[in-house]
Amino acid sequence: MRVLLVEDDAALADAVARALRAENFAVDIAENGEDGGHLGETEAYDVAILDLGLPKRDGLSVLAQWRALGRDLPVLILTARDAWSEKVSGFKAGADDYLVKPFRVEELVMRLRALVRRAAGHAASVIQCGPISFEAQTGQFQLDGLPLKLTAFEWRVLSCLMLRKEAVVERLALLERVYEGDADVDSNSLEVIIGRLRRKIGARHIDTVRGLGYRLTAAG
Amino acid sequence: MRLLPRSLTGRLMVTAAIAITIALLGAALAIGHVLERFVIHGLDDRLDAQIAVVARAVGPDGSLDPALATDLPPFDDAGSGWAWEVIGQGGRLRSASLGTADLPLPPDWDNPRPWDRETPRNRETPPDGGRRHHHRDDDRTGPRPLDGVDRSGRPIHYRIVSLPTATGVATIVAAGPRSIVERPLRAAMTPLLVSLLLLGLFLSLALIVQLRIGLRPLNRLTRLLVAVREGDLRHVAVDEPTELLPLVEALNALIAANEDALARARGHVANLAHGLKTPLATLRLDLDALRLDPDGRLDAQMARMEGQIRHHLGRARAADPGGTAEAVVMLRACLEDLAQAIGRIHADRHVDARIEVADTAAVRCDPQDLDELLGNLLDNAWRMAGSAVHVTARDAGRHVCVTIADDGPGMSEQDMEEAMVEGRRLDEREGGHGYGLAISRELAELHGGSLALARSALGGLEVRVRLPKVLAP
Repeated sequence: MRVLLVEDDAALADAVARALRAENFAVDIAENGEDGGHLGETEAYDVAILDLGLPKRDGLSVLAQWRALGRDLPVLILTARDAWSEKVSGFKAGADDYLVKPFRVEELVMRLRALVRRAAGHAASVIQCGPISFEAQTGQFQLDGLPLKLTAFEWRVLSCLMLRKEAVVERLALLERVYEGDADVDSNSLEVIIGRLRRKIGARHIDTVRGLGYRLTAAG
Repeated sequence: MRLLPRSLTGRLMVTAAIAITIALLGAALAIGHVLERFVIHGLDDRLDAQIAVVARAVGPDGSLDPALATDLPPFDDAGSGWAWEVIGQGGRLRSASLGTADLPLPPDWDNPRPWDRETPRNRETPPDGGRRHHHRDDDRTGPRPLDGVDRSGRPIHYRIVSLPTATGVATIVAAGPRSIVERPLRAAMTPLLVSLLLLGLFLSLALIVQLRIGLRPLNRLTRLLVAVREGDLRHVAVDEPTELLPLVEALNALIAANEDALARARGHVANLAHGLKTPLATLRLDLDALRLDPDGRLDAQMARMEGQIRHHLGRARAADPGGTAEAVVMLRACLEDLAQAIGRIHADRHVDARIEVADTAAVRCDPQDLDELLGNLLDNAWRMAGSAVHVTARDAGRHVCVTIADDGPGMSEQDMEEAMVEGRRLDEREGGHGYGLAISRELAELHGGSLALARSALGGLEVRVRLPKVLAP
């Protein structure tokens, strides 16, 4: 899961990014509205965290611009503005959730996961695919009822496949969701990660669709 | 000692009363004086007529001819008080009224006082013919007056003429009772004083009316200022009288400056609170990440700081009369926007919200305050609800009564009372109704409404908010 974090306060952005990475998210940080708007328009993200009071361009106009361009990624507004009028304007501009500073990191993570899950079309918080189950609220994977230990990269790939289970996920889309904008892709190439995942959950659950990408499947 | 009263009315009354009194007294004295002169002139004419008759008895050589000294009535009547006497060098002639007695004369009768201007030089013996000639001219100016009393003490008015003759000066004195002057004077003074008194009364009445009318704009200005203070008006709109315009302008400038200062101060509070939120959020994340707070002591302090910020920001917002330019807000749209936002915030709580509000229902309220008021209540309902939130609005006279009911656990009677009496105590409880209720209630009251709690038909809490109704266009 890759997150775009648009936040002008460097200290807060670093702390949020660190907390999210600890929860296996890939995080890109934009420090102003222009950069954030641009990243959101050109890169693929599972979810965006958007501050409202941003330098160069206000958060609401960034959001409205994304929606006008048809970018439908889930957006969580994270701001100090806590008046209901401001919340209503945020949702009217196209936000999916609204969290007021200061906040607990557990709540932010929970809300981000829920946004991604709902955006993928899953109403229930537990997603099942054969022997594999994904507790979307806590981010825990289980295999046959036992906890599955995964690295951050493995988690990102598997969660992405899980949210689109039984469907082909393009290789490029997968790459975009797994690596941060400035990541060194070579050392952890997608093929290596897929290989490790196959060993952990059983090779038959991850199909390689030649020329297209990968598919997580219950049968196999 | 204060010479002037404290009130403007008092000052104007006192000064005007003093002015009126002085003017009326002056008028009484002046009119009295003119009347007296007028009446005395009549007396003088009668005396002078007698003098003119008697003067014929004085020959150019100073001889007196009694045959020519005729008594005009009532100079021939002994008890009349009218009398004349000629004092010549060669003897005296008297009116019949005197009999043989001399006319009683005041001691200085032949010594006119210097201010008897009518005959200033009569007693001077002219040293040469030129002056003498001049003297005759003066004689023709007429007799000089003198006042004295007769033997029984009655006031007497005299006219005295000195006639130069070849042998010396012959003096003719005519006297009449002064009482005949005083009787008409007294008769005239009564209606005069009464009419002056009436004039004074009329002027006083006019003064009171004038003060009433004149000071009315001040009373109106006071009422307008009270309305501004109570938030019913934004500024004082007065275009007359012109004398008040500078004051009104200054007042409006003051009101505007006040509003600005207040808005700035609130802005500073909000900026301070908002500015603290981001570093506080960072601090909390760092505390968690670096595991610096194993026993949760620092976390409790952070929670206190957050609570303070939230509380004071909420209060700054709730006490903000900046929205006195109240707008008409359509209730249904407002509630639906809020419900949509809250539904998304609590997306994983499957709450069935029914908003049964007429399209035309409208209230008079600052839109942001209304969002805050109803947002807090809806958010509470959403968080506490089992599965249903029911919002209705109905007419209640001059108000609209908005009811927000949930099927949650509700509140005990005691909690309801506490929430209404002292909302702040419940602030501390995470997730409770208290905080939002206190702010919502303050907002409702700020905008001329009220907030009450009850048990809802759904089993949970029911919040009833009354807000000033507006008839939708």
